[in-house]
Amino acid sequence: MLLKEQGTLQTPVSLFSAQHESATDAPAQAQFYKQLIPLSKPQAGEQYAFKVELDSCSGCKGCVSACHSLNGLDDHETWRDVGTIHGGLAGASYTQTVTTACHHCVDPACLNGCPVLAYEKDPETGIVRHLDDQCIGCQYCALKCPYDVPKYSKSLGIVRKCDMCHSRLAEGEAPACVQACPTEAISITIVNTEVVMTAAHAGATFLPGAPAPEYTVPTTQYVTQREIPSNVEASDRYALRPEDAHFPLVVMLVLTQLSAGLYTAALILNDTVVTHYIRLIALVAMGIGLVASTSHLGRPLGAWRAFLGLRRSWLSREIVVFGAFSGVAGAYTAVGFFDGIPPVIEYALGFGTVVSGLLGVFCSVMIYHDTQRPFWNFPVSCVKFFGTTFGLALGALLMVQSVVAGEAPHAIGMIALIAVFTIKLVLEATQLRAALQPEMTPAKKSALLMLKPLKPITISRYSFGVMGMFSFAAVALGILPVALSALGFGLLLIGELLERVLFFKAVAAPKMPGAFTS
Amino acid sequence: MSPVDFIKNQMRIRCHDGVLTERLVQEPAAFGLGLVPKSVKPDATVDSVCGYCATGCSLKVHLRDGSAVNLSGNSTYPVNLGMACPKGWESLAPLSADDRATTPLLRGENGKLSPVSWEESMAAFVRRFKDIQAQHGDASVAFLGTGQIVTEEMAYLGALAKFGMGMVHGDGNTRQCMATAVVAYKQSFGFDSPPYTYQDFEESDVLIFVGANPCIAHPIMWQRVMRNQRNPEIIVVDPRKTETAMAATRHLPLAPKSDLALFYGLANRVIELGLIDQVFLDAHTNDFDAFKTFLADYTLEHAAEMSGLAYEKLDSLARLIGSGKRVSFWWTMGVNQSYEGVRLAQSMINLSLMTGNIGKPGTGANSITGQCNAMGSRLFSNTTNLFGGRAFENEADREAVAECTGIPVERIPSEPSYAYDQIIDAIERGEIKGLWMVATNTAHSWINQKRFRKIRDKLDFLVVQDMYHTTESAEIADLILPAAGWGEKDGVFINSERRIGRTRKVCKAPGQALSDFNIFRLVTHHWGCGDLFAEWSSPESVFQILKRLSAGQPCDFTGIEGYDHLDREGGIQWPLKRAEGGDLRPEGGGVKIEKQRRLFEDGKFDHADGKARFLFEAPRAMPEPPNAEYPFILLTGRGTSSQWHTQTRTSKSDVLRKLYPQNAYVEINPVDAKRLGIAPDDQIKVSSRRGEATVKAVLLASVQPGQLFMPMHYASTNYLTADAFDPYSRQPSYKACAVSVSK
Repeated sequence: MLLKEQGTLQTPVSLFSAQHESATDAPAQAQFYKQLIPLSKPQAGEQYAFKVELDSCSGCKGCVSACHSLNGLDDHETWRDVGTIHGGLAGASYTQTVTTACHHCVDPACLNGCPVLAYEKDPETGIVRHLDDQCIGCQYCALKCPYDVPKYSKSLGIVRKCDMCHSRLAEGEAPACVQACPTEAISITIVNTEVVMTAAHAGATFLPGAPAPEYTVPTTQYVTQREIPSNVEASDRYALRPEDAHFPLVVMLVLTQLSAGLYTAALILNDTVVTHYIRLIALVAMGIGLVASTSHLGRPLGAWRAFLGLRRSWLSREIVVFGAFSGVAGAYTAVGFFDGIPPVIEYALGFGTVVSGLLGVFCSVMIYHDTQRPFWNFPVSCVKFFGTTFGLALGALLMVQSVVAGEAPHAIGMIALIAVFTIKLVLEATQLRAALQPEMTPAKKSALLMLKPLKPITISRYSFGVMGMFSFAAVALGILPVALSALGFGLLLIGELLERVLFFKAVAAPKMPGAFTS
Repeated sequence: MSPVDFIKNQMRIRCHDGVLTERLVQEPAAFGLGLVPKSVKPDATVDSVCGYCATGCSLKVHLRDGSAVNLSGNSTYPVNLGMACPKGWESLAPLSADDRATTPLLRGENGKLSPVSWEESMAAFVRRFKDIQAQHGDASVAFLGTGQIVTEEMAYLGALAKFGMGMVHGDGNTRQCMATAVVAYKQSFGFDSPPYTYQDFEESDVLIFVGANPCIAHPIMWQRVMRNQRNPEIIVVDPRKTETAMAATRHLPLAPKSDLALFYGLANRVIELGLIDQVFLDAHTNDFDAFKTFLADYTLEHAAEMSGLAYEKLDSLARLIGSGKRVSFWWTMGVNQSYEGVRLAQSMINLSLMTGNIGKPGTGANSITGQCNAMGSRLFSNTTNLFGGRAFENEADREAVAECTGIPVERIPSEPSYAYDQIIDAIERGEIKGLWMVATNTAHSWINQKRFRKIRDKLDFLVVQDMYHTTESAEIADLILPAAGWGEKDGVFINSERRIGRTRKVCKAPGQALSDFNIFRLVTHHWGCGDLFAEWSSPESVFQILKRLSAGQPCDFTGIEGYDHLDREGGIQWPLKRAEGGDLRPEGGGVKIEKQRRLFEDGKFDHADGKARFLFEAPRAMPEPPNAEYPFILLTGRGTSSQWHTQTRTSKSDVLRKLYPQNAYVEINPVDAKRLGIAPDDQIKVSSRRGEATVKAVLLASVQPGQLFMPMHYASTNYLTADAFDPYSRQPSYKACAVSVSK
């Protein structure tokens, strides 16, 4: 009986009739938020922006929850976050909570990086909107945004982000966070984009502890009357959070690079037997790499639209170039099996394959360089990616040669192989040296990530690399049988895959100041 | 979608709409909500008071087919004006957690908890408790209640346990948060009467927050402070530079436990400067002269020396308190959780009385309450006080209760109950053998946890009634009774400003979980005392009993007709007497009940002579001062606004979990950290004489050198705390103990 009673909910009709009387009312909260949103629309050269009165923000985090609930987000999904910055000295300590969402940048990195144009900057309001149905779930915007705004949903296969409640603003209602702030710390204001841009490029501080504004020109206005001490820092400054490994991308990068390197070797070499094998291996590597890259996408069916972003997005360019590479390389590999193909055609195909392959690798380098993350900067990524390209290709070549010929690998090739991998490993090791820096920098954070939480991967990465080189050396010196050069290649390949896992996991991702985590 | 449409859809170059876009589309909803997500657009709404803290915000629950789908702040409720903190916003999430207790669980011969039917659970409950009582006497079974359930339920628990089951001893977790304020008010005013209304936050010129961090602990009260248009001075007295201290106009980072000397020094100075309200003192108070004599030893210089604060700063504060402006004192756990908390609270009450800062807008010595229904528990938990703020020892009181409830007077115990710590001690002595724990988590929250865990083994039968079978306490229970939570049952909460508000059933409880009310009815039936509780058939019928019990007491709310009246008014503050002659129109309210009412506007207090009293006592040294071996003072308190107490509910919301650190940590001053070679985020060991905890170090200048701060939400904190208590309120002194730190 009691269970039945417990299971019964009162009928709303009988009990809640009072609520129906006000059914047609205007939003009841409007009386409180009316003065927190602009009366007029932005003029030309202006846009909407969040304004945050830091002195009013008490850190209650109601904005985060309200945004979540009033926008109908998934259980774990939040578009707003509240962090803290702190500093000062005993007696004059400073702590400030900071509420943050999308900054609706003047020059949005997410939009610039999107390969399928799934972002739009609304010409009237300046709101950076994400087109959920256009998104293919590549997550490049999440890497591009220095404020950690776009959030990927595995279940939906797309990213989503704050749209400043554009539909509410259009109706004269305040965004959820503005409606819900008990101390009216968040409001919507209109800013002049030129003014914001000039300030950002003139080196104005956006917010202490936050990434510098000149990259994307964020529009959020953080306002305070308090004096901020010079030693202020984000409360999560020392947090060591490994990033996502993006395993499909790990496989894709290493194997497309191996493939491009092998085709280069095939073009240079004259030994037809060996080049046949090499082209076949290159084709298989490319195939697996490209399948892996597709599996990385949340919604691969839309990937054909990737050409749309060619003008601005290195990811778009990479996809298009590797697409071309796969076609030419396929043809180049196929012609090897037919007699009577004019050598000039084969050479042209080979040349086209190598150019597109290496160009693809270059695009890969640029994709990461373009995120402005120091760990992924151009010289380092260049050495890593092209090191993999030529080092692994050399390893595969020596393996095939020695197995086909049944003799130890060529000494010159061996020396080259060991040189390439030694340079690569030394360069990687220099990145660990940053751990000794006195101040916490992105480079130091990456080094600490590799030395602390990612230590097992780091150790494995060097072990496999060194063991791979030793295996080849042992085969060359006749200590190990020739067939075991395959072991050497396998070890090097695993070593490179682990290097790429570290590449993703140990990057220091910029973000707005977060709260202390434990 | 047909294959053709699918392909067409896939072939679009730009997709401005589609199934994914559709997911976030908003539509105008009725009920004054504005745009809401189409996916959770309600067909009705209902207002329900939040079940976390004592602010008592009203949440507008969005319903579809009678069941909750979403919620938002209630714009028209005088408490929160449409706002809620993240806990409130996320109130529905913890209801659907995977670890809800959905059947009773009984520990079997094999030592494991296994599901049993309600019949079996009740049979075990009755047999085990009756066996214990037969062997060791009725008083050998006790209960520990809560400030988290509705008033009707806590009243039923108190009545059933004491009048029905013959228990003598029962207390609640409100002992851990509010007992000090209760005793302080009772001794000073004659009744447990927090005098203020939230409007006072907006109408005060000088707000003095003592051991309180409302920015984090009561963000929706802080909203009212920020709405103050009088350009107020906001003074925060707290060893740490908390969020509230940051927002204040003045912060007084006093040495821990120098507070009593500080307020006596301020009182001394106010008198010295001649800033007292002699007319008010003469007309409305007793014992001021004795207080004045006592204060001779407590100069402002002494206060400055003890607190480590500059004399000038304190002098300026004393002048401000006596300036004739509207001065209000607000305190929470920094005061209540102290070994001399009652006298400390009274030191502020004394200052209010001396300067006439009571009973007027923007004034008062005001205890901000902790739990959603701590105030309900203060009146109706029937633990240390008999119903309605009465005394078990008082025969007339027992008779009054017997008359109101129809319970034979001989069933009402004439001896007072042990307080929480005394119940624990009695278990240790072997005097109490059976314990019924309702909606509280002693195995996390109680001070000196290592000792409590040992004592638990002395219990023959431990029943834990909770929403979850995974709380620290449930895990060590012999019987778990699955309870419905907030949102799954009806009743009233009483908030910090004495406002009685309704909370509602808007969700079905999972599995066989029952509301606490229904569990009590079940126990009543199986215990065989159904005839005593015939009238206790529904929450609203119990509400009517409580009304009768309030009659003639300072909390008299006989003017409230019933639940519908509460709905119509948007909550009603006590007192609200029914007018003479039984007229339904309440006294003091007229046809329209004022939304903001404070007490003592007529200067009449609740002692027999209508006067307030001055209470005071020489400050004592802290029970466990730091020494060479344990050189740090450990402070404890709330961590973030997204955490609630022992986290049984707040850890069940994905959103809330994102908003607080997952594991225990300790805040340490960078100077101390540097000296000890501790870097940010290092794991360090904090040890006290009772236990140790390995936690992450957070370097913050907001903590003074020589002090540490650990939030109470992590189980490891109470392995360090020391079991010292206020002698009057028996409230544990959580705030300060001596610890050491090592890497």
